[in-house]
Amino acid sequence: MHSKALISVLLLGLAPLAVVADEINYNRDIRPLLSNNCYACHGPDESKRAGGFRLDQQASAFAEADSGAHPIVAGEVGASELVRRINSTDPDEKMPPEDTNKKLSAEEIALITRWIEQGAKWSEHWSFVAPARPPLPTVKNRDWPASPLDDFILATLESKGLQPSAEAAKTTLIRRVTFDLTGLPPTLTEIDDFLADDSTMAYERVVDRLLKSPRYGEHMARYWLDAARYGDTHGLHLDNYREMWPYRDWVVQAFNDNMPYDRFTIEQLAGDLLPEATEDQQIASGFNRCHVTTAEGGSIAEEVYVRNVVDRVVTTGTVFMGLTLDCTRCHDHKYDPLTMKDFYSLFAFFNNLDGAPLDGNKKDPAPVIAVTTPAQKMEIARLESLIEEKQREIQQLVAQTSYVEPAAPPEVSAPQPQEFVWIEDAAPAGAKAEGGWKFVTAPAPVYSGEKASTRTASGLGQHFFSGAPTPLDVHEGDTLFAYVYLDPKNPPKQIMLQWNDGTWDHRAYWGGNHISWGVDNQASRRHLGELPETGKWIRLEVPAQLVGLPAGAKINGWAFTQFDGTTYWDRAGIVSLHGQSATYDSLLAWESDQRAAKGAGLPNELKNIIQSDPKQRTEAQQQQLRDYFIEHAYAETRDVFQPLHQQVDDARQQIAKLRKGTSTTLVFRERAQPKPAYVLHRGEYDQRREEVPRATPAVLPPLPDGAPLNRLGLAQWLVDDAHPLTARVAVNRMWQQVFGVVLVKTSEDFGSQGEPPSHPELLDWLAVDFRENGWDVKRFMKNLVMSRTYRQTSDVTPELLEVDPNNRLYARGPRFRLDAEMLRDQALAVSGLLETSMGGPSVKPPQPDGLWFAVGYSGSNTVRFKQDKGHDKVHRRTLYTFIKRTAPPPQMSTFDGPSRETCSMRRERTNTPLQALLLMNDPQYVEAARALAERVLREGGDALEDRVATMFRLGTARKPNADELAELVQLFEDAHHAFAANPDAAANLVKIGESVPDSALDTTEVAALTIAASTVLNLDEVIMKN
Amino acid sequence: MDPLIEYANTTTRRHFFAQGAMGLGAAALASMLPTAGAQGAEALGGLPGLPHFAPTAKRAIYLFMAGAPSQIDTLDYKPKLDEMFDKDLPESIRNGQRLTTMTSGQKRFPLAPSKFKFQQYGANGTWVSELLPHTAKMVDDLAIVRSLHTEAINHDPAITYFTTGHQLPGRASLGAWLSYGLGSLNQNLPTFVVMTPSWTGRSQAQALYNRLWGSGFLPSKHAGVSLRRSGDPVLFLSNPSGIDGPLRRRMLDSLKKLNQETAAQIGDPDTQTRIDQYEMAFKMQSSVPELMDISDEPQSVLDMYGPEATKPGTFAASCLLARRMAERDVRFVQIFHRGWDQHGNIAGDLPNQCRDVDQASWALVQDLKQRGMLDDTLVVWGGEFGRTVYCQGKLTRQNYGRDHHPRCFTIWLAGGGTKPGIEYGATDDFSYNVTENPVHIHDFNATLLHCLGIDHRRLSYRFQGLDMRLTGVEDHSPVKDILLA
Repeated sequence: MHSKALISVLLLGLAPLAVVADEINYNRDIRPLLSNNCYACHGPDESKRAGGFRLDQQASAFAEADSGAHPIVAGEVGASELVRRINSTDPDEKMPPEDTNKKLSAEEIALITRWIEQGAKWSEHWSFVAPARPPLPTVKNRDWPASPLDDFILATLESKGLQPSAEAAKTTLIRRVTFDLTGLPPTLTEIDDFLADDSTMAYERVVDRLLKSPRYGEHMARYWLDAARYGDTHGLHLDNYREMWPYRDWVVQAFNDNMPYDRFTIEQLAGDLLPEATEDQQIASGFNRCHVTTAEGGSIAEEVYVRNVVDRVVTTGTVFMGLTLDCTRCHDHKYDPLTMKDFYSLFAFFNNLDGAPLDGNKKDPAPVIAVTTPAQKMEIARLESLIEEKQREIQQLVAQTSYVEPAAPPEVSAPQPQEFVWIEDAAPAGAKAEGGWKFVTAPAPVYSGEKASTRTASGLGQHFFSGAPTPLDVHEGDTLFAYVYLDPKNPPKQIMLQWNDGTWDHRAYWGGNHISWGVDNQASRRHLGELPETGKWIRLEVPAQLVGLPAGAKINGWAFTQFDGTTYWDRAGIVSLHGQSATYDSLLAWESDQRAAKGAGLPNELKNIIQSDPKQRTEAQQQQLRDYFIEHAYAETRDVFQPLHQQVDDARQQIAKLRKGTSTTLVFRERAQPKPAYVLHRGEYDQRREEVPRATPAVLPPLPDGAPLNRLGLAQWLVDDAHPLTARVAVNRMWQQVFGVVLVKTSEDFGSQGEPPSHPELLDWLAVDFRENGWDVKRFMKNLVMSRTYRQTSDVTPELLEVDPNNRLYARGPRFRLDAEMLRDQALAVSGLLETSMGGPSVKPPQPDGLWFAVGYSGSNTVRFKQDKGHDKVHRRTLYTFIKRTAPPPQMSTFDGPSRETCSMRRERTNTPLQALLLMNDPQYVEAARALAERVLREGGDALEDRVATMFRLGTARKPNADELAELVQLFEDAHHAFAANPDAAANLVKIGESVPDSALDTTEVAALTIAASTVLNLDEVIMKN
Repeated sequence: MDPLIEYANTTTRRHFFAQGAMGLGAAALASMLPTAGAQGAEALGGLPGLPHFAPTAKRAIYLFMAGAPSQIDTLDYKPKLDEMFDKDLPESIRNGQRLTTMTSGQKRFPLAPSKFKFQQYGANGTWVSELLPHTAKMVDDLAIVRSLHTEAINHDPAITYFTTGHQLPGRASLGAWLSYGLGSLNQNLPTFVVMTPSWTGRSQAQALYNRLWGSGFLPSKHAGVSLRRSGDPVLFLSNPSGIDGPLRRRMLDSLKKLNQETAAQIGDPDTQTRIDQYEMAFKMQSSVPELMDISDEPQSVLDMYGPEATKPGTFAASCLLARRMAERDVRFVQIFHRGWDQHGNIAGDLPNQCRDVDQASWALVQDLKQRGMLDDTLVVWGGEFGRTVYCQGKLTRQNYGRDHHPRCFTIWLAGGGTKPGIEYGATDDFSYNVTENPVHIHDFNATLLHCLGIDHRRLSYRFQGLDMRLTGVEDHSPVKDILLA
C-alpha cells in the first residue's frame, strides 16, 4: 500500500523524490498536505479559523478543539478526529469540504494516517529554521563525487538504485558551460583549445576563463533584472520613458566584480543609508524604485503611495526570502505564520521615500541622482589631472618669478576707481550669445576696439548673452557703463540695459516706456532719462545698486534692448574701486586697493591677511600675498598666468558639465521625518487601523544587535547568520539558473505552500557553504559547474525518462531551451554580428511596426517605436534591449521573457509555433543567418562541406556526422538551384537586416547558404542547452 | 522508424500527465493528443476534468469599449434628469463616494442630463439612445445588465482589474485562463486572438497594455495573439523576402530530419514537440492568410457590417474577422476599441465612437444568428467602468463631460446561453448607485466562465503559494438569472 502511494505521488509530480525512507517526514510529506487542504480554515489566519484549532501549530493540533474532540492524537489513529473526518463520506462532516475545491487522494489519506500511526512526529517548517551544515552522506561509488554536492546527489540516486550518467562529450560540455556562465556560445577557437587540452585541468581552465569574462556579469545580471523588475518605462498608464539604466549597469558590474551577495543585498536595499554612500551605492538603492508607477489623471496620491510601498515589501519578501508576503496585505497569512501586522511593520521600513508617489510621467521622478557614464568618468579624471598639472605649473612659475617693488612706488592713497571693460568686440569668452549679434567695423560707428554691435528693430529688439563663465563682481558703489550710438536717421523710441545675476530683473532705460518688462520705478525697471543725443557716442552709466545689484552680486549676463530704430553698442563694463582683474605694477598699490575693498573677492585666508597690520604679518603670510599678487594681478606676468587660468577654468567648467551628467537614475532616499505606518484594513489605503512601528516578522529572528531600525538594519538582518531564508533562496535561484529544475521548485515560495526541497540536506549544505565562504558568487557558480552532477550527459534513456521525467534526481545533465536573450545573442554571436560594448542607455533593435502604437497612450513619449540605427545599437546583447513594459519586445516575450511589470523569479519554458515563426522569419534572425553564411564563405574553407561543417560547429560546438552533413549540403544544393533560377529572390534575401551584405561574395551562393544557416539556427540542438 | 522516436512519441502522453499541465512543453505536447471535449468537439490541450460541466458557449467574442462609455447617454435612460439640469448632485446620492482627482476639486457637481433622445424598442420596450440605432434594433437578442460595478476609478487599474481580476499587473487574463483550462479547438490558429482597431472619437485615447491579454503567471503560450492592423497579422508569419513556400517547405523537411536524429540520439520528448510546433507554424502560414482574406464574403454580408467592413484595422473589419474566427473555432476573440474616455465634448466625440461600433456590433450578432452560431457563441459588449451623472468641466444643454464612475455601468451580452431580450439590474434616478441586483465584475467574469463550462472557483493556478483565480479570493458567483440554463 505504501509503495503504491509513493508511485502515485511521483506521477503527479508533487514532492516526489524524497519519499523513499520508510519513516514519514512531517515537513516533507505531511505539512504540504495539511497546508494545502486544511490551513485555509484551520491555519494562521485568525479571522477565518474554524473549529477552534489550527493545524499549523503542534500544540493546537494536538489539543482539544471546540467540538471536544482532538484533531490529532499521536500514535492513535482511532482517537484522531482528523482521520475520521478525512475519511468521512457524510457531506456535512467530510474534510476538506466539497466547496473548497480541495481533495485528499486515497494515497494522501493513507500517508497522513500512517504518520499519526508512527507517532505524528512534528517539526517546525523547514525554511524557518536556520540551516546547519549537514554531514556528507555515505555513498558507495566514492570515486564519482568531485564536489560535496555530488555526494548528496549520488546518495539519493543510489538509494533509488540509479546510477549517474556518463560525462558529457567535451563539445557538449564547453557549449553548456559557456552558456551557463556567459549566456553565449563558445567560439571555434575556444572549442579547439579545449579539445586540444588533454590535461585534467582543461575544464577548470575553461571555467576560470569564463568567470573572468565581462560577459559573465551581463549574463548573471539578466536573471537578477527579472527579479528586480527592471524596465525602461514606468509600466502603468502613459508608460513613459523612465531613466534607470545605470541601475542595470550597476548590477552587471557587481557580478563582474564578484561583489559578495551580502553586500549586493545591502547596497540594493539600503545603499543610500550606508555611511557616505558612494554614487554606486546610491544607484544600487534604485532596486526599491524599479516597481511600476503611474501618473494617470485622477489618481489618488495616497492610494498610489500605498501600492508603491506594497510592491517594495512584496518584492523584497519574494526576492530575498522566498516569502509570499502579498497575502498578508489584506489578511493574516492562510498558510504561513505571518500576520497583517508583520506586513505593515515591514511596510514601515519602505514607506519613507523622499519623493511623490505619482511619477509625473517624467523620466526622473524624485529622488534621482545624475550619473556619469564610464566614458564621462574617464574624461573627468583626465581633466582633473590636467588641472593638477596646470596648477603645478602655475606654482612653479610663481616661485620662479622675481619681483622687485618699483623704485618709486605710487603714493599710497585712497584707491581710485578703475574701469573694467567686460564687453569689447565680442561677448565675454564662454558666454552664450543670443538674439543674433551683428557687428560693424569702421567707417560705421565704432567707439573703441575693432567692432561695435548693432541692431535695427521694428518694435522690441535685443541681443544679449548669459552664462558668462567668469562673472562680473559687483562691489559697493560700483557703476555699470556702456557706450551707445543712436542712428539719427532712425532713432529708437527707447533703449534699455539689462543684467542677469540669476534673473534678468535688473533694468535701466532711457526714452519712452514701450517695453513692458519689470515694474516701473523699481530695480526691475528704472527710468534714467531721455534718449541720449543721436549721431554721437554717449556713455551710459548705471549705479549697480540702483538696479538691484548689491555688493557681492555676480553678473553673468547683459542685454542690449531697444524699441524700434537703429542702435550701435560698444565697450561696456563696470567702474569699481575694487577692480576686477585690474593689473598693477606694484604689490603695495595692489595691497592698498585690496585693503580698501576689505579683501572682497580674495580667498578667505588672504582676506584676513590683507586686513591685518602689515607689520604683524609673518613671512609666510607676506609670501602668500606676494604669490597671489604675482599670479593674479601683476601686470608683468599677466600674459603668463592668464592663459593658464583660462585652461584651468575651462577644465573646471567641463567637469561641472560632465558631473551634471546627461543621465539620471532613480534612487532611494529617506525623508527627514519617518512617515507613520498603519495596519490597513483589507489592504485598503483609506482604512487605517493601529499604527505599527518598524519590525521584522515574529516567526523570523530579531534584528541583529546594533542594527539600525531602518532599511539598512533590515538588509543586515537578511544577511545575518541567523536568518534561515536568504542564503537558501539565493543558492536555490543560482541552482535553478544552471540546472533548470531546482531544489525548491517554487523558487518564489519557500513557505508552506511552496514545494518542499527535493534534496533538503543539499540545499542546506549549499546555503551554509555559500554564506560561510563570504557569499562568494563566483566561487559558488564554479562549484556548481565543476560538479560531476553538472557535467553528466543530458542524453536520456527511456527507462530514466520513465522514472524521472523532469530530472529532479539529476541522474543526467541539464537540457532545456535557451532563454530569449541567449537565443538572440547566440544568433548574433555565431554570425559575427554581436556588438559587445557594455552599458549605457537601452537600445532599440528592429521590431515589427506598430506594436507600441497598437496599445500606447496617444500622448505617451513611447507611443511610437523608432528603431535605432547602426551596428553599435542594433546588434548589442539582448540585455540592453529597451523594455517598454506595456508592450515588451516580441523577441523577449515570445520566449517567455517577463514584461518586468512585477518581480519574476523563474520563467516558464514553452515551445510554440510562434517561436518557430520568429526564429525563421524575424529579420534579425534572417540577417544573422545571412551573416553566418558570409562568415563561413570567408572563413570556413573552400569546400562546401567544410563551410557547412563550420556553420554546424558554430551552432552546436560539434562536428556534424555524415548524415547531417549530407542533409545540409543537399539542402544547400536545392536552395542554390532555386536561387539560380530566381536571382531576384536571392538578392532580396541577402538584403535583409541592418548590416550591408558582402558585395565580394556571390549572391546566389550566399542566399543558398543562408537557408542552410537558418536551418542550423533552428535546430533543436541549437535552440536547447544540451 | 527508429524505436526511440516511437518511444518518444508514445511517452508524450505519460510525460504530460507526469509533469502536470504546467510542465515544460507539456501543454504543447498535449495539443497533439486530441481528447473528446464535453461537447464531443475535439479539444487540444487544456486541463483534465475541464470543462467542469456542459458549456452553453463553445466560444466567446468580447467587444471591449476601452475608456468607459457613458451609460447615461447610451443604455441607462434617466428621464428625470432633464428637469434637474445644472442642479447639484444630492449629497445623499453621492454618499461619500470617492472621486478621481480630476473632479474632486470641483466646487460643484452639476447634473448633466443626456442631450440624446431615447426611444423604446423591442418586446420589453427597452430604452435605447439615438446614438445606438442598430443596437436598438436587436434588444430582443440581448441581455442588458445595468448594475455592473467595480472598485477601481482609473483606467489602468480598472481595465487590468476587469481583464485579469487584479488591479495591478502580473495576473493571467481571461483569455489566457480559457486557453489554459480548455485548450484549443483548432490546430492551425491561435486559440485566443486580440484585435486593437482604430477609433474616431477622442484622439487622446487611453492606453492598452499587453498584460490585458497576457498570460501573467501562466506559461506564455496562453497569452492572446494580437492581430496587427498592418503588416503580418501574426508576428513573423510571412517568410522573408526571397523565400517562397516551396523553399520554406524544403528547409523544414531538412530541419525535421535533423531534429528527428536529435530526438533519437538524446531521447528528450521536447524535441518531438519542437518538430510539431514547426509544422504547426507552417500550417499557420496558410491558415492565417486564409482567415484574413475576406474576398469570399458576399456583398450582403459586407453590407451588414457597414462601409468600413472592407477597411482593414477598423472595428467593423475586426468584427467580421471575429466571426470568421468563430467559424474556425478560435475559442476567444477580444476586440479592444479605444477612445471612450469622454471627460469633455460628449456632443462631439461620443456620436463618433458609437458610429464606429454600433452597426458592426449589431451585424456580428445577426451574422452569427443567421449562421446558427449565436446559440453557442457568447458576445459581450462593454467598458471598464461607467461615467458620472455630474458634469466635468463646462456644462451646457448641448455639451458636457463626464468623469469616471465605478459604482454602476452597463454591459450587454448575447448568445452563448444568455437569456435574450432581458434587462437585468437597475440604478437610481441619477445612474449613480445600483438599486437592484448588483453585479460585481468578478461575478461577471464568473458568469462568462460559467457559460464556457467552467466553475470559476475550480479554475486555479498555484503561484507564489496561492491558488490564483480570475475572480479573486472573495465569494463571487455567476449571475444565473441572466442565463438560460
